[in-house]
Amino acid sequence: MKAEIRGSDAFSYVDLTLAPGDSVVAESDAMSSMSADLDLQARFNGGFFAGLLRKYLAGETLFVNVFKNNTKAPRSLTLVQPTPGGIRALELHNNTFYLQPGAYLASTEGLKLGVGFAGFVSWIAGEGLFRTVVKGSGTLWYGAYGALLDKEIDGEYIVDNSHLVAYEPGIKLRLQLAGGIFSSLFGGEGLVTRVSGKGRVVIQTRSLSGLTGWINPKLS
Amino acid sequence: MQVEFIHRPGNTAATLLLAAGESCTTESGAMIAMSGQLDIETTTHKRGKGGLLKAAKRLFGGESFFLNHFTARSGPGEVLLGTALAGDMMDYTLDGDALLVQAGSFVACEQGVEIDTTWQGFKNLLSGESLFWLKLSGRGKVVLSSFGAIYPIEVDGEHIVDTGHIVAFQETLEFSLTKAGKSWLHSMLGGEGLVCKFKGRGTVWCQSHNPGSFGMSLRPTLKPRK
Repeated sequence: MKAEIRGSDAFSYVDLTLAPGDSVVAESDAMSSMSADLDLQARFNGGFFAGLLRKYLAGETLFVNVFKNNTKAPRSLTLVQPTPGGIRALELHNNTFYLQPGAYLASTEGLKLGVGFAGFVSWIAGEGLFRTVVKGSGTLWYGAYGALLDKEIDGEYIVDNSHLVAYEPGIKLRLQLAGGIFSSLFGGEGLVTRVSGKGRVVIQTRSLSGLTGWINPKLS
Repeated sequence: MQVEFIHRPGNTAATLLLAAGESCTTESGAMIAMSGQLDIETTTHKRGKGGLLKAAKRLFGGESFFLNHFTARSGPGEVLLGTALAGDMMDYTLDGDALLVQAGSFVACEQGVEIDTTWQGFKNLLSGESLFWLKLSGRGKVVLSSFGAIYPIEVDGEHIVDTGHIVAFQETLEFSLTKAGKSWLHSMLGGEGLVCKFKGRGTVWCQSHNPGSFGMSLRPTLKPRK
């Protein structure tokens, strides 16, 4: 399988070429175009119960699609995300990665998706009570609204609410006020997430709740 | 007419440079700025062609009722055009062939281009797309816009494009509405629903982002409609 992320940071999409016998798992509605003779099969997102959990708890869809090339020649598939922004590919070698709700886009068959309890801190911070846990070996594609920033953490770091996209298992989340009571309430930052530990966090430069927060007062 | 694109792909605007005597037609509301000496005329139709009926059809096509015509009568000038959704633009030169354009993707065309609204049958109604497509034919440049990046697909045989991701396609292609997989059940469960299948030889231009899907992702935190 060949994969290329195109469309710049602003409008990333994934162009895949599936060799005969190759298959890829993608989030519901992620396909924008494909060869007409690729086979598509919907399946529960990690089993029926895990699928239900992921839909209601982790903000993902109940079903995922498996695209398989059962022909004798390479076939093309383009996967996209609903929000304009960056997409990253990550190779996992028997390790774990946490995704925030909505960040999952696609993965190869060697990866398992599950739901993990992210803790009440994550929930209050607007990051969801649960997170998607990706385990195994293979390639994971995930995306965001806006550009993606990587940050290697060793110690502590602060991320504004709803800007966290993904993090490694060595990271813990804690909630706190952005500053003192006054600057937290009036500085527009409010609650922030304090991430601590050792590992990588991925941050998105925009947030959907930021956009709707700007639109809402203008709606009559 | 010369076309230049600036600030691609995130904040694309098109600059149309008109030589003396040239004119162009644009979607109403697309103009950002223009030279002072250009004449503007707003009509419900392509100048000299059709009339109210064509305008009414265009309204169904998801386009606006009115079109603007810019003419460089007293020397050359420029028009800057932009769109509401963030994304890229493309130009295409018609040479007797025809393009079918998704409603909302039309930005501008040269004077030699015919704009018509075509009925594509009830299949379009089902696809969640608008009922009509704009058919651009004749000779001259056209400018189209998208939500997100634009990628062309050279179809030779069959190719599937999800509804909501089509910008335009060459008229040489046949299109039908169908399921994405072998079974209807899997297409529906998997959230792909109905897709467009293109057959034949020609180019389809796709947009990387679906306005409907982006809208749905705003829904959980958007204030309810009163």
